Amino acid sequence: MLDWIWILLTAAWLLPLLGFAVEVFGGYWQQSRRDRTPALIAVACIGAGFVLSVAAFIIWGSETHWGVFAAEPEHGDVPAQQAVEDTTREAAAEDASELQPADAGQQHSYRKAISGTIYTLARFGDLKLSIDYYVDSLTLVMFMMVTLIATCIHIFALGYMSDELTDEYVDHQAHTAGGDHVHRPGRYYLFFSYMSLFCFSMLGLVLAGNIFQVFIFWELVGICSYLLIGFYVERHSASTAANKAFIMNRVGDFGFLIGLMVIWTYFGTFSLGPETIGDETRPGIFAMVRNAEGGLDIRNESGSPVVHLNGSVAEADDAGAADGEAAVTAERTIPYWLLVVAGLGVFAGCIGKSAQFPLQTWLPDAMEGPTPVSALVHSATMVAAGVYLAGRFYPVFTPDVLLVMSYVGCITLFLAATIAVVATDIKRVLAYSTISQLGYMMLGIGVAGWAAGLFHLITHAFFKSLMFLCSGSVIIGCHHEQEMPRMGGLRRKMPITAYTMLVGVIAISGLAIPFTILGMKLAFSGYHSKDAIVATALAFNYKNPVHFLLFLVPLVTAGITAFYMFRLWFYTFCGEPRDRHIYDHAHESPRVMTLPLIVLAVFAAGVAVGGEGGPLYRMLLASEPAGVDVGSEAIDPTVAFIPEDVGYALVGQPARAEIHSVHAQAGAFALIAAAAGAVLAFLLYVVRVVDPGEIKRQVGGLYRFLIEKWHFDTLYDVAFVRPVHRVAAALAWFDRVVIDGILHWFANTSVRIASWDRKVDEGLVDGLVNLVGNVTFRVGRSLRAVQTGQLRQYIMFIALGVLSLFVLQFIFFPR
Amino acid sequence: MALLLSAIIFAPTIGAILLLFFDRKAIEPMRYTALAVTVVTFLLSLGLLVPFDTAMPDIQPNGEGGIQAGIVVEWIPDWEIFYRLGYDGISLPLILLTSFISLLAMLASWNITKQVRGYLILFLLLETGMLGVFLALDFFLFYVFWEVMLLPMYFLIGIWGGPRKEYAAIKFFLYTLAGSILMLIAMLMFYFGSASYTPGGHPTFNLLQLGEIAREGGFDPGMQLAAFILLFIGFAIKIPTFPFHTWLPDAHVEAPTPISMILAGVLLKMGGYGIIRIAFPLCPHGAYVAAWALVAIGAFSIIYGAFAAMAQTDFKRLVAYSSVSHMGYVLVGIAVWQIHELGGTDYWQMGMMGAMFQMIAHGISSAGMFFMVGVVYDRVHHRDLNRFGGLAGLMPLYSGLAAGIFFAGLGLPGLCGFIGEVFVVLSAWNYSPALAIVAAGGVILTAGYILWTLQRVYLGAEYKGPHPEALTPMVGREIFVAGVLLVFAIVLGVFPFLMFDLMDASTAQLVQSLEQGYQAAEAKAADVAAVLKERLLR
Repeated sequence: MLDWIWILLTAAWLLPLLGFAVEVFGGYWQQSRRDRTPALIAVACIGAGFVLSVAAFIIWGSETHWGVFAAEPEHGDVPAQQAVEDTTREAAAEDASELQPADAGQQHSYRKAISGTIYTLARFGDLKLSIDYYVDSLTLVMFMMVTLIATCIHIFALGYMSDELTDEYVDHQAHTAGGDHVHRPGRYYLFFSYMSLFCFSMLGLVLAGNIFQVFIFWELVGICSYLLIGFYVERHSASTAANKAFIMNRVGDFGFLIGLMVIWTYFGTFSLGPETIGDETRPGIFAMVRNAEGGLDIRNESGSPVVHLNGSVAEADDAGAADGEAAVTAERTIPYWLLVVAGLGVFAGCIGKSAQFPLQTWLPDAMEGPTPVSALVHSATMVAAGVYLAGRFYPVFTPDVLLVMSYVGCITLFLAATIAVVATDIKRVLAYSTISQLGYMMLGIGVAGWAAGLFHLITHAFFKSLMFLCSGSVIIGCHHEQEMPRMGGLRRKMPITAYTMLVGVIAISGLAIPFTILGMKLAFSGYHSKDAIVATALAFNYKNPVHFLLFLVPLVTAGITAFYMFRLWFYTFCGEPRDRHIYDHAHESPRVMTLPLIVLAVFAAGVAVGGEGGPLYRMLLASEPAGVDVGSEAIDPTVAFIPEDVGYALVGQPARAEIHSVHAQAGAFALIAAAAGAVLAFLLYVVRVVDPGEIKRQVGGLYRFLIEKWHFDTLYDVAFVRPVHRVAAALAWFDRVVIDGILHWFANTSVRIASWDRKVDEGLVDGLVNLVGNVTFRVGRSLRAVQTGQLRQYIMFIALGVLSLFVLQFIFFPR
Repeated sequence: MALLLSAIIFAPTIGAILLLFFDRKAIEPMRYTALAVTVVTFLLSLGLLVPFDTAMPDIQPNGEGGIQAGIVVEWIPDWEIFYRLGYDGISLPLILLTSFISLLAMLASWNITKQVRGYLILFLLLETGMLGVFLALDFFLFYVFWEVMLLPMYFLIGIWGGPRKEYAAIKFFLYTLAGSILMLIAMLMFYFGSASYTPGGHPTFNLLQLGEIAREGGFDPGMQLAAFILLFIGFAIKIPTFPFHTWLPDAHVEAPTPISMILAGVLLKMGGYGIIRIAFPLCPHGAYVAAWALVAIGAFSIIYGAFAAMAQTDFKRLVAYSSVSHMGYVLVGIAVWQIHELGGTDYWQMGMMGAMFQMIAHGISSAGMFFMVGVVYDRVHHRDLNRFGGLAGLMPLYSGLAAGIFFAGLGLPGLCGFIGEVFVVLSAWNYSPALAIVAAGGVILTAGYILWTLQRVYLGAEYKGPHPEALTPMVGREIFVAGVLLVFAIVLGVFPFLMFDLMDASTAQLVQSLEQGYQAAEAKAADVAAVLKERLLR
């Protein structure tokens, strides 16, 4: 039965690819552009994917006897002992896809990952690269989340993109040189084919059983994002944004590649789970780098720390073998600093994909794509892939890397939130909010709130895709108007959109009613997940007081978040209409668009039900790497340079019990901040105690700074883009002038030598030859005069000759 | 079987002779005949797969008596020159690539209207030369085919080329000839050097025998290094790597489209093939000593080519520089010769196979890119990147296929370019982290210049150049060529083992024997040093 899990998930993964092939090669461009079939195929594929994912989840649940939801002690009281029970050690020893039945001794079978190989790409001796699968509860959650949200968004897009269902689409934002609008055939089928390709890539990324495969799909979601951002190819802004997105992602991927190189060289494998080569099974990366307690096995070798990698081939065979070579291979180690490099490298990929500081600038520009794309690719799934990978690859990250991650997240969440406050384009506000929320997730994972960060990933996916779709509904309702200053009062025109949006706004702000009914907090999903992150950050702060900013900034930003989200909602849906024309023509969207809104609103509200005791959180917790819940103590490197068992760390990580003990406190703080932000937005934009425009004038410098997005685009243009073009021009010049110049010099010199040679040849050599010839000729010619043909004359010559011979003889040889 | 090898090489020649009997005016029949010849050659080369045993690393097919070659016929026995052919997992993929690209290039030759018969004859002779290079196992024969290939190429560029065709043709010819001469010197060094190692005291041109001598530590390190440098420069011109690459942009820009396809798709591979087949096996010690320089040159070429490509405004020149960049990976992959305690030679083997895969992948993607440039050039007769735009709207099918092929060049996963590049880069860290990082840096620049090109040519609101009315949809023949190339790019990108399985055994053996050759040469040098020391002390 267990095999069915990966078979179902693989089917769910490949279905959209099939859909893509049919949609793009099915000839839908030939006849009329009014055919909805390709879109329906896309919806069917991804919908079937959702059904298959749920089926896989049910099989997984029943095979593990639903152990994941079984009553457990309250999370704070989990004895540290239990953490020892981890996937890694047993997984290493067992057959790849074998899962022990959940008997008394194996209560935690649901914590194990199922992994195996689908097919091998290449083998080089002991090295193997393959397409694998790796399924644990996190994979299942991601699969269900991605397919569900994608299905909703596909259905929404049926309506949203319907103006492409025409043979002559007029693009009002693309102009020819003559100033006319561009007329083109509709590209409905193409849009859905790209969406299907994206779903395939995204699911492949989640299913991936090795980090190389993650990289493959990482790039593929990147190219899908490129295609979708640049969907309106006629618009220069769109194609530029698409280029920017892909190239900035490549910058991150450059780091990712470096991380891969280090891992490949020192681990000799990319596999997350155990890997089979020939008839030999080897542990995957996680089992190699972490011991059963989840610690790094650090030793001091010749003055520098190295990390011992467990269970390499020879060790598994016979550790004490006399074979010298085996003994050598058993000692697989990686210098500590290179493990840090590997972690930072992979994290650089996450920075690019999740638009974290300093690569955050592509995401707002990516809003050039159609709104369903923004909802699916640029908020719910692809950009969250960076966070997903940070979570998935957590065991390889050393505490130093995690600290970097926290600070990157911390900077990002603040920076993006401040820009969101001044943005007026409804989609851009949401884009900055996405960046900010992704920063929260990174921060959460960085401060050892593994499950908290991923918890927020899932909840955010629901409420942010909801809000993007709502904004799409608004944009369609207002006939492609995106500027909030021209909206206002729309809740009367489009109530479903407005109130589903409000659900999302409350969820993201983290508002809740501060008491419990029937043991459950009255709160939407965002409250639970953000609460979990803030609590972890607070516990981290208690443990490492130096890093107090990691708690303070997210707390303050929680207030800013509530402020700008409510600002958006009030601005758009409340007050008096600011543009009468737009308001008069505004309308509620058709049911095909509002229905997904309602579904997503339900999930945005309720997906995290039960908070940290609820099913979603428990599912995530089941995949948590070993040792996270135990935490660690800060090590002063001057006291103990090489710690024995806890890891080499400048920071201590909070244990779950510690987090739990500050949970209520953190929750209160966060709630106060959020409420303050919401109230402030209410005062400014509804009650209008002060005119926001007045504030804008008061702090004009700051306002411009924020409007200019902290000048990152300018900076990068000056620091990178222009220098690259200049270097390129310089090298092309070098090629043309220097290298070819040298060549031409040689060529010209040869020609010159040749011409001298010719001169010498013609003047000297030929001259001599000619001279001889000429002289002979001339002599001959002059002698012609004597050739008279008269016999008497000849006889006279002969006589004269003989006579002169005799004379000569007498002169020279006298006797 | 022995006949098959000769038939593959000389089928195009026979076709060329056949064309002589055609009437000068019978253009269409001649084209179809030539096409049929390339099809036959391709099918014949597919025939090599039938007896090929992927598990056997040696040259195939085996003759009896331990002679590991398909055909051995005396040619000039006084000088120990033999007509010696055979193939293994290293040359087989390239042979297939050659006959495949020739077939597609022939299909792309329909637009040639000037002196068609002469063109077709030279084209077929060129194919003979190329196939001969990949099948020859006698150094002299190899050299002969190498030169045979040169002349038709010279005329094909010089007669059917663009405005500066004479300049380009001469540049190409002289560059390659300079390389050939260096190769000739090295060849003679080995020929005369081999006499003291062969059983009968006869010198030999047999590449396998020379490789065997080197494996056992023959040819002293000094000579190996000198010969290696000569051979390397000869082959590096062909690859081409910085600083021997400037013939390439000119030759490509001036050459007609099908010739550009062959030039990029096949001819450049001969440089890489020569290094793998001749330079490394004959001078393992020299190669090991020079390896760092090779990787450095390769890594530098990657970056240099990418930057230079970014600055071009001529579409074809841009693609030409992208070749310099992509072929840099080949050099890096070949040379990452590091003896690592853990991985053994596995990483090097990976680099080597990555390099060979990259050659195939580049053969497909660059031929495709040149073809795509040719399609639009045939219509509007200009290649100025700043005067395109909006082709996606005017020629959607063409733009879609072109995007796919350019993505293959960009190294997108799922397409062939990715596998070669990434495997090379992954194997390179084990050799030199710094150079690996430089090589990996190419991914950003490549994305930059390819996407920027796509934006300037295919995207945008409207076409900005002359002859907009000429932008008609692709014809069936063009769709076929582009479609086939894209399909192969996808198939190889998704199922790279199709190629790796062919290469695996041979490469593993090659890597092992090189390793042995280096160790043997080292041991011998140590012996000599010990003897000298002893004598001096005495």
